[in-house]
Amino acid sequence: MTSPADTAAEPVETASIPASTSRRSARGGGSGGLLLRFSGLYIWAAIIVVFGALVPQTFLTVQTATGIATNEAVTIIVAVGLLFSLAAGGFDLSMAQNLGFAAVVVATLSTVGGHGPWFSALVAIALSTAVGAINGFFVSVIRINSLIATLAMTSILLAATRLVSGQQFRGPLPDALRETSNAEPAGVPILVLYALIVAAAAWYLLEHTPFGRRLYATGANPEAAFLAGVRTGRHLFASFVITGFAAGLAGVLLAGKIGSVGPDIGPSYLLPSFAACFLGTTQLKPGKFNVWGTILSILLLATGVKGLQLLGGEQWITDAFNGLALLTAVSVAVVSARRAQSGRTVRRSTGRSAP
Amino acid sequence: MDVTTSAPRGAGPRGASASAPALKVQGLSKTFPGGKGLRDVDIEIAPGTVRALLGQNGCGKSTFIKVLAGVYQPDAGATAEVLGNELSLGSSRGAREAGLRFIHQDLGLISTLDVTDNLSLGSSYANTGWLSGSRERRRAQRLLDRYGIEIDVRQRLDHLSPAEQTLVAIARALGDDDSSAPRLIVLDEPTAALQSAEVALLFGLIERLKAEGNTVMYVSHRLDEVFAIADDVTVLRDGAVVANRPVAELDHDSLVELILGRTVEGIEPGQVHRDAPIVLEARDLCGATVETADLTLGRGEIVGITGLLGSGYEDLLFLLAGAKPRERGTIELDGQLVEIADPHAAVGHGIAFAPADRKRLSSIQGWSLRENITLPRVPTGAGRWLGGRAEHRDVKPWLELVRVRHSANSLLSTLSGGNQQRVVLARWLRIDAKVLLLQEPTSGVDTGAKHDIYVALREAAAGGAAVLFSSSDPEELAAVADRVIVMSDGAVTTELSGGSLTVDNLIRASLAVAPQGERAS
Repeated sequence: MTSPADTAAEPVETASIPASTSRRSARGGGSGGLLLRFSGLYIWAAIIVVFGALVPQTFLTVQTATGIATNEAVTIIVAVGLLFSLAAGGFDLSMAQNLGFAAVVVATLSTVGGHGPWFSALVAIALSTAVGAINGFFVSVIRINSLIATLAMTSILLAATRLVSGQQFRGPLPDALRETSNAEPAGVPILVLYALIVAAAAWYLLEHTPFGRRLYATGANPEAAFLAGVRTGRHLFASFVITGFAAGLAGVLLAGKIGSVGPDIGPSYLLPSFAACFLGTTQLKPGKFNVWGTILSILLLATGVKGLQLLGGEQWITDAFNGLALLTAVSVAVVSARRAQSGRTVRRSTGRSAP
Repeated sequence: MDVTTSAPRGAGPRGASASAPALKVQGLSKTFPGGKGLRDVDIEIAPGTVRALLGQNGCGKSTFIKVLAGVYQPDAGATAEVLGNELSLGSSRGAREAGLRFIHQDLGLISTLDVTDNLSLGSSYANTGWLSGSRERRRAQRLLDRYGIEIDVRQRLDHLSPAEQTLVAIARALGDDDSSAPRLIVLDEPTAALQSAEVALLFGLIERLKAEGNTVMYVSHRLDEVFAIADDVTVLRDGAVVANRPVAELDHDSLVELILGRTVEGIEPGQVHRDAPIVLEARDLCGATVETADLTLGRGEIVGITGLLGSGYEDLLFLLAGAKPRERGTIELDGQLVEIADPHAAVGHGIAFAPADRKRLSSIQGWSLRENITLPRVPTGAGRWLGGRAEHRDVKPWLELVRVRHSANSLLSTLSGGNQQRVVLARWLRIDAKVLLLQEPTSGVDTGAKHDIYVALREAAAGGAAVLFSSSDPEELAAVADRVIVMSDGAVTTELSGGSLTVDNLIRASLAVAPQGERAS
């Protein structure tokens, strides 16, 4: 404990932090931080090496690689959408059920509904976007805690999904929709291309537009952002709309991919998406929800799960792995944030003037 | 050791108090490495009296109270007695057991709980096995009744007026045991947040406490209150006691003289220069703690604003920036009526606002300097690329202007307070504002940074901006501002400029602000 007296003499000293020190800490705390920033890549490589050694015949194949990429394309799209609300400081728990809802809507409209495939797809995406807007309304206008608002919305969407699906599988979907999700131009699964396009668009919006900057400001310090002239309410609202839109898009693409939609798809995307977004905050741009860190995390998690499955693991391994990864990821993020914070607190106490 | 002293405490309310002083401190010193502290303080307070503790900011008042409360360890050699019992200084437990009770300016109550819970949390619940709401309420009611406080114990604390909250805090500080032994109650600026009409409530309780044989030490900046409630005053200056005198021997001017350490001239009506074209004109602003305020800012003018805590001078800037809801009033910019609904609109109209709470309100600590500076006006229009390098080029001249040598990519949290404040200033200079509103722009800032900030403000003003800055430092106001507005009780009461803008006059104007209108004396 420093005596209060010590605080009196210090501020002048801290005024002369050399610029080099602060630049280094801006990058995340020197070489240790650098290691942490890319730790996901190393862990990913380690996972590949380990499973490659354990089950080389099945794991180290092009099939496995494209399988993972195709399977995770939908997760990438919905997780990248989720990033927007997380960046703005909101939690959208309903995005997974929203995805399932969109899948069921497009499947029902285009099969028993007898509507055209494109019309069905547009309606599904529009409805999911509207769900995002409703979330945004409750969070930014009524100002309910976003966890609670979207938890309630999850339940409502679950009911809507059951209602629309009639508790039955809807399928097979029209060829146009299946083709849209399953084509392989030049041997590349088209879903992977979609995911890349969505990721690139999200990266541009979040990192290279004033909109993205203000979104991050809203999440980083809503009061300071508001006082700097950022319309924080609107940005929070918009972030939920984008999350809803991405969930709708992912749902429609997923429906096309599997061809026949049951009433229970959706919830399984909740945990992997959140896990990836939080794990992503420890990667590439530490402390910040970021697109490429999230995608790296999704691939890392999926590769691990796939390896365990090929080793002969049961289905529950997936859930256990994702849960553990989420806990670990958030712990790492929180601890490293606290470490950065504690450096700040010391400085704060020294900045105080004499009593 | 005096063995007998503890006996009278339980015997009755006035047992020991009749003879022994309520507080006797001798030779109390406290040295800080930075310099300021306490030098050889002697104080003796007679039981059953009210003692006002006065002095300018930084004179050692709070240090003294903190030593009494056991927060700080005094230097060796000090002795203290409370109500006849020896007090071992530097122990909060000892202070408590000796009968000292403290009510700090921040009352330490929980605003979302009711009065009963706030009173019970302070000590303990009556029965830990089974918490009975009605029993706790009865106990709380008994406590309030004992001090004649008429407040419904079922009220939530935030439904009470600030004065009533103060009463609850006092009751809580006193009611932690059932002993009726006299106490020494220390009130640290209890009226700072109170409207003048509410002060009477508090004074009522103080009179009652006094009549019951308790002793009160009362810290305030409002001199009129001192004349209304105190029996004696102790004036501290630069860590030393300059006077221990009965109030009856003093008048307003001699008291101010004791506090400042020099004689003061009366306030001459200030000559206000209004030759510059008016940039901002606010009429009848009302909202938050501001009752009604009129204000004009001229081009190239640096205007200071000050007042006591709670007088509205802090909130006026929030109102002008649209950061707190305005109930009434109009704002004109360059003669045009403008609607400033939120800070976004304010920035759009060229009004920049940097609140005093740098860590929380005027910056994003975890962001780089670059991002912090560009936030109000992020460069690039629709569809254009927001690139780090272009932004870097954009920000660089502004960092140079405020003399920050750190890289624009450094995290703001790695900078010292002074440098952070320069960055905040750079942010708002960059938007080329017509009106710069700055709260305490030099608080927690080292001398070098202070100078640079003044220079930057002067340059901004020379460039045509109108600068309005709030400050609680009279020397700074006198040195930097062309004109100073003094607020009290939510209204602008005094304006000083030209020859009348002196440190003495500023202090007078702030202190003379009186609930009972002592100003005429």
